[in-house]
Amino acid sequence: MQALPQLVVSSLLLGGIYALIAVGLTLIFGVMRVVNFAHGEFLMLGMYLAFWAFTLWGLDPYVTLVVEVPLFFAAGLLTYALVVRGVIGASHNVQIFTTVGLSIVLQNLALVAWTGDFRFVRPWEASVVLHAGTAAFNVSQLIACAVAGVLTAGLVAFMKWTHTGRVMRATAQDRDAATLMGIDTDRVYRLTWAMGIAAVGAAGVLVAPLYSVYPTAGLQFVLLAYVVVVLGGLGDMLGALAGSLVVAAVEVAGSYLFGTAWKEVLYFVLFIAVLVLRPAGLFGQRGAEMLGA
Amino acid sequence: MRLMITALLVSLLLGPPGAGALQGDYQIGILEPLTGPLAFEGKRHLEGFEIMRDMINERGGIMGKRLVFAVGDATDPTAAASEANRLITREGVRILTGTYSSTLCGAASEAAARQGAIYWETSCVDPRFAKRNLPNVFRTEIDGTGFGWYNVEFVAKHLAPRLGKKPNELRVVFLSEDSSYGQGVTESARNRARDELGMQELAVEYYAFASTNDFTPVILKFKQLNPDVVFHVARGNDAVLFWRQSREQNLLFKALVHAGATGYGSPDFGKALGAEGNGPFALLEPGPGFRLEALRPEGRRIERDFREAVRKRTGSYPLGGHQLAGAGLWMLKLVLDRAGTDELAAFRTAVLGLDLPVGSLINGWGARFAPTGQNANERVQHYMLQWQDGQLVTVWPEEFSTQRAKWIPLGPWDQRK
Repeated sequence: MQALPQLVVSSLLLGGIYALIAVGLTLIFGVMRVVNFAHGEFLMLGMYLAFWAFTLWGLDPYVTLVVEVPLFFAAGLLTYALVVRGVIGASHNVQIFTTVGLSIVLQNLALVAWTGDFRFVRPWEASVVLHAGTAAFNVSQLIACAVAGVLTAGLVAFMKWTHTGRVMRATAQDRDAATLMGIDTDRVYRLTWAMGIAAVGAAGVLVAPLYSVYPTAGLQFVLLAYVVVVLGGLGDMLGALAGSLVVAAVEVAGSYLFGTAWKEVLYFVLFIAVLVLRPAGLFGQRGAEMLGA
Repeated sequence: MRLMITALLVSLLLGPPGAGALQGDYQIGILEPLTGPLAFEGKRHLEGFEIMRDMINERGGIMGKRLVFAVGDATDPTAAASEANRLITREGVRILTGTYSSTLCGAASEAAARQGAIYWETSCVDPRFAKRNLPNVFRTEIDGTGFGWYNVEFVAKHLAPRLGKKPNELRVVFLSEDSSYGQGVTESARNRARDELGMQELAVEYYAFASTNDFTPVILKFKQLNPDVVFHVARGNDAVLFWRQSREQNLLFKALVHAGATGYGSPDFGKALGAEGNGPFALLEPGPGFRLEALRPEGRRIERDFREAVRKRTGSYPLGGHQLAGAGLWMLKLVLDRAGTDELAAFRTAVLGLDLPVGSLINGWGARFAPTGQNANERVQHYMLQWQDGQLVTVWPEEFSTQRAKWIPLGPWDQRK
């Protein structure tokens, strides 16, 4: 019982980090129905950007964020034009193989360019420990968690209340109908992909002070991001946020109660149960899993 | 006079005496993970092999021939097996060496055994490796059981008296990544600590290295158990994460002991934490503070030359990967020079005939191979290094070291400077 406050705080903060990483994946899957297997590698590139900006110019990751967003948005536009656009109308198998290929290319480019060494970003705030009652946590975790909340709220508002957001939702619901209504679906997909990449790049910059930077760093989180997207409702932003918190709570409580080795067993049992009992995810609308199929 | 000048010119053209005598090439296969998640250490091993290859060629080569490499990328167990097959069947090598990781050496050596080639492992420590009755498989490095043995030996003989406790009064917890390496080291340490020395085992936790993003739940448990010693076998980022979060959660223990060149044994730990990482111990090959005078004359010579060659190429003291690869390849040269052939029967006889006491080779090692192909753990001398102000220094056994262990017991987190 004494450990309960810390377990709650740890679940919230870890859930925030998972949400931050999953939000870009949710956006891309929700609108384009493409499972981006290179998501973890864009996260890794964001971490490297934070590392090099900090090492070469002493830039704090929160300053780097200002540069990251346009840079990764542009990288998103480029990868869409070069890779994704060609397979957007193809089968899911082709899309999966293409993004897996992109993932391997990016991983190995990083390996060649920067070697496999572990790198670290240690701004002053990474050593600051905050206390809330008996719970303790790192200030970088708190900031990453807060940004996850703001980013999710911003994207929900964008999708709900802006013209572009409505256009994106219309395209997600029925691509052919959207085209017949005069919507430039290629532009919508381009924009969605670039926004998703910018979001995951931002996540990379924000988690860099917390974890090591290395070419396969993205793999540490990406499997969890897929679980979160499915649990949350296959493209639902708020659902992904809730799914992240659920996964983190299962992980933290499961590790504490049953042992660390059990955490993956527990959240994958939950994952399978949700897929069987509620294929649209915990918070998605029934039939969402069929959209765009 | 003219004859003298001609002889001088010819000898200058031919280069140093050792190199000049080489007749033809002798090729062996090197298998290391050069891409993928294990590449950071695989490349370091390859560098160690290359440095030692050049040293060997400057010293007369192998069986009078210039040593050359055919290199394969063993990025995972499947690639390790297929690259082993390729090197043997396409490149024609009869001896393979590598592969650094316990996740790779099993697959690579079995592929070599199927092809009838010799497999010479220099680094992986999976205890199962040498228990498969494969007559063509040999290992120069200690096995995981030996790592566990040394770690417990250090805790019982060196730490316990300084903590004012008998070994059976020590409260210990075991935390380890769940690879065959981590499990092999941890289980052997557990057996010795619990059964032989009566240490009080409070908890055992295994975790998946690649997907553990938060150690807080484990740390909370450990806080409640109040251990004296944490045995933690870590792989990479997990060492930094556990140490950083232990500090955040103010988990106080008296010592942390690790084994191997990853995790706390990697230079990356010091780069990440600097002086904040003061205190943990890592069982490794010797580092700064290692006394050359403690070695036998032949060991002192080769150790000094290897250190110098590594420093020349990398600008730093040899790292674990360099030392394991370099020591293993030098031992292979000694065996091949004795055997005079790479035919298995003669090679095996030469291996089993080696009897070099501790202090004869690089790292202060000796050699005495069992019929299983495993070099005796007691000949593969290992050392405890400690992080002190961003540097790993050799602190135990004390007769091999100019440095001494500090912070026993580890005090509060802000007083380890």
